[in-house]
Amino acid sequence: MKIEKAKLVVEGLKEAGVDFTAGVPDAQFIQVYKMLEEDPDIRYVGTANEAEAAGVGYGAYFGGKKPALMLATSGLLVATYHLARINILHEVPLLVVIPYRGDIGDPRWMGLYKKTTEPGLNAMDIPYRVVSRSSDIVRTIKECNESARAWLRCIAVILNEEALW
Amino acid sequence: MVTRLELVKELAAIVPQDALVVTSIGNNSYFWAELADHEATLFHSTLGMCTPAAFGLAMALPKRKVVALDSDGNLLLNLGVLGTIANENPTNLTVLVMDNGNYLGSHKSAPGMRTASGGKMKLQEVAKGCGIASSHLVSDVASFREKMQSALKSDGPHFVCAKVEPLDTERPPKTKHVLDPRENKYQFAKLIEKAEGVQILGGGLGNFG
Repeated sequence: MKIEKAKLVVEGLKEAGVDFTAGVPDAQFIQVYKMLEEDPDIRYVGTANEAEAAGVGYGAYFGGKKPALMLATSGLLVATYHLARINILHEVPLLVVIPYRGDIGDPRWMGLYKKTTEPGLNAMDIPYRVVSRSSDIVRTIKECNESARAWLRCIAVILNEEALW
Repeated sequence: MVTRLELVKELAAIVPQDALVVTSIGNNSYFWAELADHEATLFHSTLGMCTPAAFGLAMALPKRKVVALDSDGNLLLNLGVLGTIANENPTNLTVLVMDNGNYLGSHKSAPGMRTASGGKMKLQEVAKGCGIASSHLVSDVASFREKMQSALKSDGPHFVCAKVEPLDTERPPKTKHVLDPRENKYQFAKLIEKAEGVQILGGGLGNFG
């Protein structure tokens, strides 16, 4: 991801009021993670796996934070058990931001995640928006977090096409 | 060896009312609900989620003491969190693990199946190896009381592994309504909102709010 687009992701998180993030770095979002780690307004916690990140975000929510999870498409699979519990059983809102590796246009063999990402979110009853243009990144992150907080649901933002590559 | 019931009773007498407690699913939640009149409790954290949730809560509210009332099988699913805790160093967090060494034994008349800590694994050594310097093993009420009282009065993070009997043959009588996860969410969030002056719930009014 180009640095200009990574900046838009962080800007979107700030516009959304997100002040706490957790996740595991991945190649597509590495610039985002680095910016979050250095940002004084958003606390970033690097976890050992993405399920742990979901648990940490869940706890931070109850401390008054506005948390977001930064998950790779592979990491979404790791986080599935906890995310399903958090979203369906507890009804606690976590914003989930995902760089869409494996979508059409991905130059590497990642097609596995085309089969798992959107069907996985649907199975967990997590609504999502796919953002294809970088000009939509900030607005979409803000809108998704507003709805998540109001509906007490996890909501995902998935970046693909020009927004990601 | 001591029982879970004895230690949860003791814990209920030790934990101050303003401390926040996060409990793992199963008998840690049910025993705590029965034995502790502790409104500031987040119940029913599923396998792998108890200590991460307590850690997230401790990060969000660094001036509050936070206790994870976890179990061995639960912690083992996300053991990496101990390394995360060591690196982030939440001084207000105590992780207490009721280590009965087996899965499902708490609900049966015979032990279930062995966890890793029911074999060669020593959780207190793992925690120490992860970088949590204040890591302890206890197996009786007196040492449990001493370590937990010390943890709640000093900067951590702290890790206490309590070796308990594999079966919960002693149980408290069921006298209380245990909050379901959604009831618990509202009750706990409202308590934190009032005490900390933060907004957790609410929203949804759009431009009308």
